[in-house]
Amino acid sequence: MRALRFERDVVRFGAARLASGLRPGAGSRWGPLELVTDDEPDLPGPDWVRLSPRLAGICGSDLATVDGRSSRWFEPIVSFPFVPGHEVVADLVPDGSTAATTDATTDATVDGASSRVVLEPVLGCVTRGISPVCPACADGRLGNCEHLAHGDLDAGLQTGYCCDTGGGWSTSMVAHPSQLHAVPDDMPDQAAVLVEPTACAVHGAMRARVRPGDTVAIIGAGTLGLLTLAALARFAPECSTVIGAKHPHQRDLARALGATVVCEPGELARAVRRRTGTQVLGTRGTNGTRSTNGTHGASTSRLTGGAAVTIDCVGSADSLATALAITRPTGRVVMIGMPGVLRADLTPLWQREIELVGAYAYGTEHPVDAEGAPTGESRRTFDMAFELVRAADLGRLVSATYPLERADDAIAHAAEAGRRGAVKIAFDLRQRPPLPTSTRQTRTRPPSARN
Amino acid sequence: MNIDDLRPGRLVARLGFPFTAAPTPPGVEPPVEPNRLGDRYDTDWARRPLARATRQAVIRTVGRVGTAALARPSVAGLDRLDGLDSNVIFVANHHSHVDTPVLLTHIPRPWRDELVVAAAADHFYDTRPKAALISWAYGAIPMERKKVSRRSADTAAGLLDDGWSLLIFPEGGRSPDGWGQPHKGGAAYLAVRVGVPVVPVHLDGTGLILPKGSNTPRPGKVRVNFGAPLRPSDGEDARRFAIRLEAAVSELADESSGDWFSARLRAHAGDTPGLHGPDDSWIRDWRSPDRRPQITDSDRRWSSGRTR
Amino acid sequence: MLFHHGEQLRLERLPAERSRIIYPPEPLAGLDDPDQAIRDALENPIDSEPLSALLFADMRLTIAFDDISLPLPQMRRPDIRQRVIEAVLDLAAEAGVTDVHLIAALALHRRMTEEELRHAVGDRVYDSFAPRGQLYNHDAEDPDGMTLIGTTRHGEEVQISTRVATSDLIVYVNINLVSMDGGWKSTATGLSGYQALRHHHNVHTMRQSRSFMDRESSELHRSNWRQGEVLRDAGIKVFQIETTVNNDLYGDGPLKVLAKREWEWTTRDRATFMAAKAGLDRLSPAQRRRILHGWRAPYAMTSVQAGEVEAVHEVTTRHVYDQQLVPVEGQTDILALGLPYICPYNVNSIMNPILVMCLGLGYFFNLYKGRPLVREGGVLIMSHPTTPEFHPVHHPSYIDFFEEVLAETTDPLVMEAQFEERFATDEWYRHLYRTSHAYHGVHPFYMWYWGSHALEHLGGVVVVGGDPATVRRLGFRPASTMSDALEIASDVVGRQPTITYFKNPPLSMVDVT
Repeated sequence: MRALRFERDVVRFGAARLASGLRPGAGSRWGPLELVTDDEPDLPGPDWVRLSPRLAGICGSDLATVDGRSSRWFEPIVSFPFVPGHEVVADLVPDGSTAATTDATTDATVDGASSRVVLEPVLGCVTRGISPVCPACADGRLGNCEHLAHGDLDAGLQTGYCCDTGGGWSTSMVAHPSQLHAVPDDMPDQAAVLVEPTACAVHGAMRARVRPGDTVAIIGAGTLGLLTLAALARFAPECSTVIGAKHPHQRDLARALGATVVCEPGELARAVRRRTGTQVLGTRGTNGTRSTNGTHGASTSRLTGGAAVTIDCVGSADSLATALAITRPTGRVVMIGMPGVLRADLTPLWQREIELVGAYAYGTEHPVDAEGAPTGESRRTFDMAFELVRAADLGRLVSATYPLERADDAIAHAAEAGRRGAVKIAFDLRQRPPLPTSTRQTRTRPPSARN
Repeated sequence: MNIDDLRPGRLVARLGFPFTAAPTPPGVEPPVEPNRLGDRYDTDWARRPLARATRQAVIRTVGRVGTAALARPSVAGLDRLDGLDSNVIFVANHHSHVDTPVLLTHIPRPWRDELVVAAAADHFYDTRPKAALISWAYGAIPMERKKVSRRSADTAAGLLDDGWSLLIFPEGGRSPDGWGQPHKGGAAYLAVRVGVPVVPVHLDGTGLILPKGSNTPRPGKVRVNFGAPLRPSDGEDARRFAIRLEAAVSELADESSGDWFSARLRAHAGDTPGLHGPDDSWIRDWRSPDRRPQITDSDRRWSSGRTR
Repeated sequence: MLFHHGEQLRLERLPAERSRIIYPPEPLAGLDDPDQAIRDALENPIDSEPLSALLFADMRLTIAFDDISLPLPQMRRPDIRQRVIEAVLDLAAEAGVTDVHLIAALALHRRMTEEELRHAVGDRVYDSFAPRGQLYNHDAEDPDGMTLIGTTRHGEEVQISTRVATSDLIVYVNINLVSMDGGWKSTATGLSGYQALRHHHNVHTMRQSRSFMDRESSELHRSNWRQGEVLRDAGIKVFQIETTVNNDLYGDGPLKVLAKREWEWTTRDRATFMAAKAGLDRLSPAQRRRILHGWRAPYAMTSVQAGEVEAVHEVTTRHVYDQQLVPVEGQTDILALGLPYICPYNVNSIMNPILVMCLGLGYFFNLYKGRPLVREGGVLIMSHPTTPEFHPVHHPSYIDFFEEVLAETTDPLVMEAQFEERFATDEWYRHLYRTSHAYHGVHPFYMWYWGSHALEHLGGVVVVGGDPATVRRLGFRPASTMSDALEIASDVVGRQPTITYFKNPPLSMVDVT
């Protein structure tokens, strides 16, 4: 099989970090990511099945890993060498055969039924053969599993960070049946590959515990930002959403996905202020007639009230600071974007009693009613994600696909997706043997459109 | 050798003629040098280009910095001079030797560039070096204050006719006690005679910096308030005009101590407080350096051990 | 041709055979003794008793005066307002009036700073009244400070400051820079609030005002005059003092060249101009602003008249026309304007894109009597950098207007219907207007309405040298050079259009026949 493999290599890791400082995504060329031809991974247990990936998305956390910018927090819950890729739509490979022998250019079917699946990549207790399962897994909150480094598998929080399972950026991987969700026949691969990130967004939207009438601010209009927007529009339709989007295509998509207000990122604070009718404190230059140099969006320093919930889909120090400045007292800041190490002034968190909430992965959702009490129903996040992907036609967010051989280009494209007019970039693994040039480049803008 | 013998005067005297004047032979009348001091001192040279240029340079540098450090003057009322295009007589109250430098540095252009200051003939023009210094540094002209002097009035009038402006302190000397003294009529007389407008000026705070009788200046804050120019009206004689001028300075003082509108209210009601202070007050005696009791140790029943 | 270009200067070529230039008239001579003229006017008013006869000891006297928007640029000290107010106060002091309030009649403009108030009324007046709280900025949003007087026969509400409503006499001290100022607009607008202003500061009125610089043809003024009637009938006694100035912006100083016709430039003038242009081009925008807003014009007072509002204003308007009116024959296809660095609403501040629109399409376009200088469907070409810069303190609601309203629409009617009220009642804008130095939340809308007559009349607007994205957001066409602009304009007005360059400032007004 062919795979993009990530080795533990301190020197190249450092090189990736340096290179990505110059240009995001350059870590793929200089870093520890390598295209290799290798044996297919062994099945770790009797129940396990072999998958032949069709499309595998490039996620923000993947980029951070490739660029050497991920937090050291992951060290004990990652095992090397691993094949990245956890946003996967794949074909089930029938027992006994290997992925290489399957003709993946046609939709493989087993007994006339679709064998296409979407992977739920979290490696929880069941997948690891741990019994009894931990309380989180028992509760269906798979993402909160406590046993990410135990059981039958080596350490790894998800498929794509574990040396035993392989990953989506390859032609063959293995998965436990509990991880698989069948893809309906009428759902195209582009839509299916977005189910996993959509599930993240749905989970984040549910973690926001939005009430009717709330104003929700969304920072960042990349894949996660747009998907979160779509999730709110579907599962919390009575709130109003304000999203800061930098690029024209992001603004168009945000409007199409149901945003109440779409604005420039620098204008977000003002837009939230207008929406919520609050005041601004600490405007710069209150003494007389000092002028600003045109960065008028940054002139407001904080709102007296603000959004009930702010969803940070960027995870940088700036975005967190903005989030804290535009969230009302006792409001909630949800971090969906992977933050990493950042410097933050948490005084507003303390003084305004803001809840800072993380939202990782997915599991089972328990929707709440207007008073915040659980409604008693519960749904798998992935089921909700399937519903949303279909309802909001989220497949359109896949902007371009690349073969594995063009990994450097793919990762560079993903790292600069916004500027290059793209949203989600994925690897296309259906064409085999890979052609020297990709045939699925039609939706990619020419490089000249970069600026 | 006696210590007195080392004094320069004695040393020169020992050298004899020609280092000292030759002794006049008995029976010969010594030639009397004409008196060129007091109001007879000729200050023309101090208004020639070289003297003016150096004076202005000094005023602009040393003068400006010095007064700024000592008096931190704030100037008000300059807008009232707007539209005034002739030379003028500035009439100010007088508390201190600081007054003149403050005004010399803060009277606006163009008047500052062609300004003479009336200085007491008896005080400043009693020796040649003193007269030369004051004429050069202040552009001063001698003005007789104790008696009516035709000469000094003619000099001043001539200069006003030539387009010079004049700064004059009509109180005739520094206030001995912090209160104003009655105005003398010189300024009003000149204004009526030459027909130039008079700008009343009030200086507040200079008396605290260097009052009469004190030699060590204490830095303070000075307010200079320029008033609207006054012209003698038709048929107004110098005496009545002088009263008007004195009132104008009083109103400016009232303005400086409070606010303009209250001062105007009092002025129209005739309630402007005068600058003279109470006629009979122990404070006047207390403050006055002239009247400070001159007690010597020998008058006292005890001794401070100090010799006068 | 010299074009003002915001804080910079540009030279542009216009096609020789099809272009004409309208230069401002020479400055009139000022009054010899303005203070005496003021005293004379106060003692010999028009249709009124002398001011001294109207004053008595225990009266409530309120003196209102024009705010920072007049004159432009600010004049050298002493300001005319100071001269007049001091003369009035001296009479008041003579009569022993102690209950005197002075109010900067700024309507919904920003509050003036201490420095600006000192400049307008002078230090003596400021120090006399400000510390006692008797000199202050009008506050149209003070819940206890505004009184509803009544409604006009057209149903327009009339609202005025309570202090004014309860005074025995209001003395209004005005500077008439353009013929729009003065008359009842001084009191009915300057001392009023949103509740009353919305009845004439709206799209309908502005479209019916042709132009709002010509009182007889201006619906804006008719409405103000109706409100004035209500004030008069309610027993509010106004003693109006109006003054006019000449158009001597630059004096004999180094900038004199800007007031000269190009063919009159001497070698020295050309050198001065090149130095000024090169200097300005090299400075940063903030430095340029500091220098230019520091300029104080040596305006001279050309007339002062006092007495009954309407009678006084007739005389005043005549004096303004004497200085400014230029007879022009026939309309033109293309009107070219060089917009300067200042307009009434950015004194000591930044000229933001909305103000650019207001200055070009509001003020300069409307400086006509009779019919517009440019024909219906013609093109307006303005030269201004139009950068998206806003003064965060003075113009907070403008930023939101630019970001939110202009992103949606440039149609004044849509703005009025959809956005105006929300901006007018926004608590934050209200707070900043009352406590900081911000224009009222609704003010950017009024700026846009000011240009609504022009928007309706014109076939297109091209901005030379403007920031393209910003110019597009305003709904105009950007062009990098004058020839590009003429090329763009030819799409609308044909191949051989006539061009008129209306050279302002110094201000002038055209009488088009």
